[in-house]
Amino acid sequence: MCRYMAERTTAGAVSSEPLIELRDVYKIYGEGLESEVRALDGVNLRIMRGEYVAIIGSSGSGKSTMMNILGCLDLPTYGDYYLDGELVSSLGDSELSEIRNRQIGFIFQGFNLISELTALENVELPLDYQGVFVANKRARAIEALEKVGMGGRLNHHSNEMSGGQQQRVAIARAIVTNPPLILADEPTGNLDSKTTADVISILRGLHAAGATVVLITHDREIARNADRTVRVLDGRIVHDSAVDGKEDI
Amino acid sequence: MNLQRTFKMALKSISANKGRSFLTMLGIIIGVAAVIALVSLVKGQQNAILAEFRKMGTNQIQVDYHIWNGADVDYTDELYAYCDSLGSDVVLGISPQIYANGNNEVRYRDKKAEYPNVYLVSDQYTICSGFTINRGRDLCYMDVKRMNKVCLLGSKVADDLFNYENPVGKSITLGGESYTVIGTYASKGVSQEQGGSYYDNIVVVPYTLQSRINKSEYSYSSNHTYIVKAASSEAMSEATRKLNEFFEIRGVSQNGYYGVYANDEYMNYQMEGLAEQGIFLGIIAGIALLVGGIGIMNIMLVTVTERTKEIGIRKAIGAPRRVIITQFLIESSLLSAMGGLLGILLGYGITPVLGKVLPDYASLGVVIMPAPFIVVVSFFVSIAFGIGFGVYPAMRASSLQPVDALRSE
Repeated sequence: MCRYMAERTTAGAVSSEPLIELRDVYKIYGEGLESEVRALDGVNLRIMRGEYVAIIGSSGSGKSTMMNILGCLDLPTYGDYYLDGELVSSLGDSELSEIRNRQIGFIFQGFNLISELTALENVELPLDYQGVFVANKRARAIEALEKVGMGGRLNHHSNEMSGGQQQRVAIARAIVTNPPLILADEPTGNLDSKTTADVISILRGLHAAGATVVLITHDREIARNADRTVRVLDGRIVHDSAVDGKEDI
Repeated sequence: MNLQRTFKMALKSISANKGRSFLTMLGIIIGVAAVIALVSLVKGQQNAILAEFRKMGTNQIQVDYHIWNGADVDYTDELYAYCDSLGSDVVLGISPQIYANGNNEVRYRDKKAEYPNVYLVSDQYTICSGFTINRGRDLCYMDVKRMNKVCLLGSKVADDLFNYENPVGKSITLGGESYTVIGTYASKGVSQEQGGSYYDNIVVVPYTLQSRINKSEYSYSSNHTYIVKAASSEAMSEATRKLNEFFEIRGVSQNGYYGVYANDEYMNYQMEGLAEQGIFLGIIAGIALLVGGIGIMNIMLVTVTERTKEIGIRKAIGAPRRVIITQFLIESSLLSAMGGLLGILLGYGITPVLGKVLPDYASLGVVIMPAPFIVVVSFFVSIAFGIGFGVYPAMRASSLQPVDALRSE
């Protein structure tokens, strides 16, 4: 599956080929019922390689649903989702697992570390699923932890770390596979302002190193760090700074 | 996938809920111990009975015939020659074994033996019957040919008449006539259940003395019984076939009857009965094991529910279904394997105790230990149950939608 191993563009440069393309994407719950909910209601979105995009919206706007679909955690009811040219919405369970593993690095609000495992083991986990040779795996996991400044806490469990430290470990886990796409869902929602600044600067660094970063947030301060903002309301994109010009947020 | 880490995770998960894990294992522990104990008890009984049959004498064939119309035909010499011609890899010996039904009171001075069985036999009787001589000598060809008035005593008769005296060379009276004791047989040591000292309560004399001992015409003509010793248990069927042939060729079934009975038939019958009993008890105990397996499935479903979030995280970072399935299968099989091992320990503990306590087995007078084959079988069956009953929970875990699983707390 070498074609998934997308090459990174040079630092910070935005390429002309889309990494993400949503075409008329709908996510409808309870379709046809009176209680029908259109979480996504005809979304079209293109994100180029090397972009740093913030998707903003209040809770219930549909931004989390969009994040789930972009992250291949969920499939659209209608419409097509192309990730790196591949029609994701037609893929089966095992192909989706492989895409999540190699193409996407997730950063969650609640960190989502596995508490029974140490920091190092958590970071090694995505490599375990790739079957990478063990010595190489350990070295790569340590390298990723050092990048986020957690090289000194390899054998700590999550209950021995602060929220900021846990989120750094989670970021190390997201970048250990060198995925072209970093998806961050309210990554600073559970953090204080000091550690928020750290996490935001790490994300900037990743973007500067060539990764495409998509950040989902309701926090305007955080969104301001991104190069492009996409505002979602009632399941539709109501403002896109790339199309409509810079929004006053 | 990292198998070592998966095992570590499974062990952690099991030890995190020690009480719950132990209660889950209890079903397997009891099931395995029950299978081991019940099957081993029956197996032990089988071995003990087999040993008894060995003492009585193995590979024996009883032969008898009778000719109607009073026209008596004596096939003894022909049978001797025939058995000889079959070769020592089929038949080791043949001897008449005629029950003396006349006056067979046996006395030495003022002592009287307690209703011994007196048999008229040849010099091959010792080989055929499985006795061993412990004092004196065996009957020889010349004793038979010359109708020497000599006898051998079974250990019960020797004890009754002579106490601690050496009977060899002494004279006893049988039916009022004097016989010289030339030797004694060692006890067969058969247990009370299988007849005990009955087998040792015998006196044997050369069969050529038949006319002196079985005096009535009727008894004389009706007694054509022989004991044949086959070379091995494998040679039994060949020997019985050949002996049947002997009588068929001579047309005995037309003007009389004959019988050829392998003595292992009764033993095989008893063994088959016990084997069936063993299978039956094994299945009953297997049901306990099955219930234990269902207990594992139940607790694994609980575990999957508890760890939905973790499953979601793993799926989000790219764990394929087979990794999730393997993880839960390893946990369930580890649970059942630990239960299986504890069950084996319990089985080793209770099998000899039950063998001592239950009257059926205690009377065998042997210590019954678990049979290795059933220990191995029950261990692998318990692991198989762990895997088998782990499949459904594992499939459920692996088919969770990552978005739903992540949302759970």
